[in-house]
Amino acid sequence: MTRRAKILWMPGLFLVVMATGTAAQDPSASGAGGYAGSNACKTCHADIWLSFYKNPHFKSVASGDLPPSRTGCESCHGPAAAHVAADGGKATIPNAFSLMSQAKALEACLTCHARDFEKANIRRSEHTMADVACTSCHSIHHSPTPKFLLAKTQTELCYGCHAGIRAQFEMPSKHRVNEGFMKCSDCHNPHGAFAPTWRMSDRPRMVDQAMNNEEPCLKCHVDMRGPFVYEHPPVRVEGCEACHFPHGSTNQRLLRRPVVFTLCLGCHNGGASGTRNNGVPIQTSQHNLLDPRYQRCTTCHVRIHGSNADETFLR
Amino acid sequence: MTTMLKRCCLILAVAGAMRAQQVIAPTPEAVGIARGENFANYNIVDSFELGARWRETGGSVDTYRSDVNYGDGVRLLATNLSINSKDGHGRWFDEILLSTSGLGNDPYQTASLRIQKNGLYRYDMLWREDDYYNPGLDISGGEHLMDTVRGLQDHSLTLFPQSHFQVDLGYSRNTDNGPALSTVQGFDASASAFPVFENVKQQWNEYRIGVLADWAGLRFIARHTWDFFKDDSAYALTGNETSGVATDPTILTQFQRSEPNHGSNPGWFGNIYGRRKYWALNARLTYNLGNGGFAMNELTTGLNSISVADNRQVVVSGDAQRPVVAGDLSFSVFPNSRLSIVNNTAVHDTRIDGDSYFTEFDDGTGASTTLNFKFLGVRTVSNSTDLNYRFNKWFTAYAGFTDSSRQIRFLEAFSFPAVTGSAVSGLYQQTSHLNAGRFGVRFHPLQPLSVNLEGEVGHADHPLTPMSDRNYHTLGGRIQYRKRQLQLSTGYKELYNENAPLSFETYSSRSRQYNAAASFALRDWLTFDASYSKLHLDTVGGLAFFAGVQTPQLQTGYDSIYISNIHAANVGLRFGIGRRADLYAGYTITKDTGDGRSLAVPVGVTDPAAALLDSVQTFPLTYQSPMARLSIRITSKLRWNAGWQFYGYSELFHLLGYDQDFHAHTGYTSVLWSF
Repeated sequence: MTRRAKILWMPGLFLVVMATGTAAQDPSASGAGGYAGSNACKTCHADIWLSFYKNPHFKSVASGDLPPSRTGCESCHGPAAAHVAADGGKATIPNAFSLMSQAKALEACLTCHARDFEKANIRRSEHTMADVACTSCHSIHHSPTPKFLLAKTQTELCYGCHAGIRAQFEMPSKHRVNEGFMKCSDCHNPHGAFAPTWRMSDRPRMVDQAMNNEEPCLKCHVDMRGPFVYEHPPVRVEGCEACHFPHGSTNQRLLRRPVVFTLCLGCHNGGASGTRNNGVPIQTSQHNLLDPRYQRCTTCHVRIHGSNADETFLR
Repeated sequence: MTTMLKRCCLILAVAGAMRAQQVIAPTPEAVGIARGENFANYNIVDSFELGARWRETGGSVDTYRSDVNYGDGVRLLATNLSINSKDGHGRWFDEILLSTSGLGNDPYQTASLRIQKNGLYRYDMLWREDDYYNPGLDISGGEHLMDTVRGLQDHSLTLFPQSHFQVDLGYSRNTDNGPALSTVQGFDASASAFPVFENVKQQWNEYRIGVLADWAGLRFIARHTWDFFKDDSAYALTGNETSGVATDPTILTQFQRSEPNHGSNPGWFGNIYGRRKYWALNARLTYNLGNGGFAMNELTTGLNSISVADNRQVVVSGDAQRPVVAGDLSFSVFPNSRLSIVNNTAVHDTRIDGDSYFTEFDDGTGASTTLNFKFLGVRTVSNSTDLNYRFNKWFTAYAGFTDSSRQIRFLEAFSFPAVTGSAVSGLYQQTSHLNAGRFGVRFHPLQPLSVNLEGEVGHADHPLTPMSDRNYHTLGGRIQYRKRQLQLSTGYKELYNENAPLSFETYSSRSRQYNAAASFALRDWLTFDASYSKLHLDTVGGLAFFAGVQTPQLQTGYDSIYISNIHAANVGLRFGIGRRADLYAGYTITKDTGDGRSLAVPVGVTDPAAALLDSVQTFPLTYQSPMARLSIRITSKLRWNAGWQFYGYSELFHLLGYDQDFHAHTGYTSVLWSF
């Protein structure tokens, strides 16, 4: 053993000795049901215990009034009496997460966390369906992040599987995720989201809702929220993705097309005469597409997200 | 313990290498395993990274500012502070977490704070400020521009956070202020557009209060919110403006617009959750009532399109409402440990209506007032069932079915209040029905190896827009190999959508994504990661539009085609030198090769309309960013860092008529101190 390791061991041994001396006062001490109490765990796993006071789960230990099944190490790992009696070994730990299936790990965590509102849809979430369980993203004992016990920074966790999304955030026009200004969870709920209140309520499935029930884009872009007398119906019905790529784009302003008239013509594309086609305004013959000013629709239709003064969004 | 230390070093090394793929500063390398300082009954861990940035740009600085925007100057690049009580019984608090980034004029600045005392309170704060710059070159010929600062902050206080009765209080604020350019038209709707100065001034405030209670095995959450929005942006012309169009002699000598728009959105939220051994229930109901009141006074003077002195005043006032109801009911059943079934019913109803009184005065003469009324209602009811069955520990299958109905009603009406019986109205109504089924399997042939395959088929009978889902299918697959030191993954995803709604020409879109990623931690001092993605998108739709060299005619024989083939790659290598220094080198590239053509308009195309449409079918460009960073450990608590990152943006066709290309060298040097 190196000198440095010995130095690091010493506080651990001291703690173990102190903990042993106060075991009788610890409510999580050994009891019925095969529970050994967290004090027994400290004896061998001092390295984990040394910094466990920084762990959010330490609250259950600090409260001092919870039953053994709800506090300390055994609240997650299960009764440890057999493990202690066997002098260790993963096989004797009821819930050894490194040996458990993703589904069982999920169930173990949901014992307490199922009631969190953020996890209300976890059983039907895309992540659960794809076998991405709690331990895929969270590291309970070795988390390098100050919050949420993440195994890596949130962005890198997501990029680990979603390389295509990572590519979008490296495009010239993008939301500032790589810059640290935003996080994926600003718009997505990795634990599963409610049915979207836009499009046909089917997709996208992991997008969270803001303002109680609206598209999360509006959380920051509140000026697009309205209500407007003259709404641009696709914004309300299909959501911002009708015209924008939400992550990143090679086109400025996250648009789906580099030149704006090709985007607008997608809907305002009338083959018949007249100005209405099932409620959608089509162009008039004034709009000569060969005239450059009619190729830049939003030069005149400046309030394209909605207006109170003009039904064609001119002001 | 030695093993544990090595493991921690490895985790930090891998984390450091991967974080380094982001912008080059702040420095992700840690000084060491932070143990912190003990003070009283608390442990304190702290770090500061103080440095200076620089940049050298060439080409379009506007595009650089829009896409990157790092500038020169001294920055507090990052701070991280944590204070933890060692027994969970601190007198005033048990934990303080404070982290910041980019303070001191970086374009992206953040700060987050958490203070909590176990069982008594938890306070979270998030503050962000974004220097938003967009020249809008492609939007309106460069006549639009924004140089605003958006500030966001969220405050949340939870009382008794570990108890069966909790109280939540919250406050959020969002502001956007700064100069911008917009455009207005002269004296008539077909006149040229003139740039006007816009002083953006928007503010949104939200207040929240809620309670959470556990009772009879159920959890109840109720919350009430109030939010208030106000937009007091003002517009003015600076100096005389000519149209710049030879055929349009319009001159604006004065333009002013005052347009206050204030609104409020009271909202309610409720949730019930219950779980037993064989079932779980989750119900959510929200209601938001949106109100907005507005007034506008616009004055324009100058010469009109026939060179006659003209002045026009437009006065608009009115209000708009938007009640929104959304509800969800999920019922889950777990007959045994292998099977879970979840049924979800969601209802969403939005009703937006408003009155707008429009009065126009030309040369001081009052024109008649028009009262406009609009209504947009969207109601969607969907039901989905998801089934997940685990055959054994290495094979699982899942399936789902969604049935969704949506009704859109759109009513527009207007009247001239001075004329009895002048009301005219039109009602448009559309009902769409969507059915979608999905199926997937996942298996683990080996412990570190996982394979997922999934697909979905859906049909909607009346999509609203050509981009909407109609006859679509998705296919996806992912293979992942994860060991502590080696992670490999590859995936494929496609979405094909054939859309031919009654009101539009035929439209189809196909997108495919391929990706592969690898991450190696060969030693605790040598890590490597790389990824490659190909994103393909092609769309084609029939077109009908007006165009003509002399007189515009209805054109129906053209297609709108867009093809994008984006190759994106990044690679990063982190190399530790004798536990004293860390060297990181990385490279990212995004290259859209379009459809492979070398000219925007193929040789031989003489039809001007065809040439125009050909020129916008692809948008090939290259955006690349090599980077390097050196971090040297001076002492056990001190590091010196220096980094360089290059950004190069280059379009092939410059089809917008503006040269947006830029290149920029950015760099920084900093000192990181931690204990």
